[in-house]
Amino acid sequence: MKKNYRITPEGAPERLTDAEIAQHRDPQKLLYNYQRARMLLHRRPLYKDPKAFLALLLIVLITILVVEARERKRNEARQAPSRIEQPAP
Amino acid sequence: MDAQLEQQAIVAAQADPARFAPLYEHYFTIIFRFIHRRTGHRELTADLTQQVFLKAMLALPRYTSRGLPFRAWLYRIALNEVRMYWRKKKEVNMEISAIEWRGLVQEVGVEGHGDEEQRLLRILSRLGEDRQRLIELRYFDGLSFAEVGQVLGIGEDAAKMRTHRVLKAMRDQLGAKA
Repeated sequence: MKKNYRITPEGAPERLTDAEIAQHRDPQKLLYNYQRARMLLHRRPLYKDPKAFLALLLIVLITILVVEARERKRNEARQAPSRIEQPAP
Repeated sequence: MDAQLEQQAIVAAQADPARFAPLYEHYFTIIFRFIHRRTGHRELTADLTQQVFLKAMLALPRYTSRGLPFRAWLYRIALNEVRMYWRKKKEVNMEISAIEWRGLVQEVGVEGHGDEEQRLLRILSRLGEDRQRLIELRYFDGLSFAEVGQVLGIGEDAAKMRTHRVLKAMRDQLGAKA
């Protein structure tokens, strides 16, 4: 990274006045952001909450069962016409 | 803000974050200027300044004074924020006022004419990042050696010694090219 230094000439007006800077001051927003950050920092991860973990496990199990049931149905449907087409001995 | 008042404000804010406001009000402008001269972008500076104070609030329970001004601790957080922003940049600009520049010119011992000053500016631009940081904090931000040390995570003596070494190197380079 290259750094360039720029010297502002003597007597030149300040680029930002204190009043302009003060417009960006917002203690309420800071406190709100702080409380939000604290909440996020101290939030219990999902896997550490037994109820949430069980609910998640249940959802995963149901999804697996539904997918398997659909697969089985599809396989049965695929096999059914081939049985009809077989010639009689 | 005098040292005792500042200490009281810190203790109060450590006990109750809602009481951080006096520290925020007092240091907002200097931290804003510190960042703005390194980014040159007003809105970005506002975001970074807000981030600095947020990080300061979150880290405040772990803060110990050790007799150094609170502002040096804030500068350290601010410098880290600026460095994270700079990481994505290939080239950055830093603004220095003529008075601040004069301080460095006098310290290096450059006779007051344009050519020498331009050369000094080029030498400064070519210094390594760590060396530039020492000069910036000491001569452009006006920090004491103790504060420079705290910002950079080194002792006061080390900050003083390293700064003098950088100045000597700059004088040598100026002399060699004369």
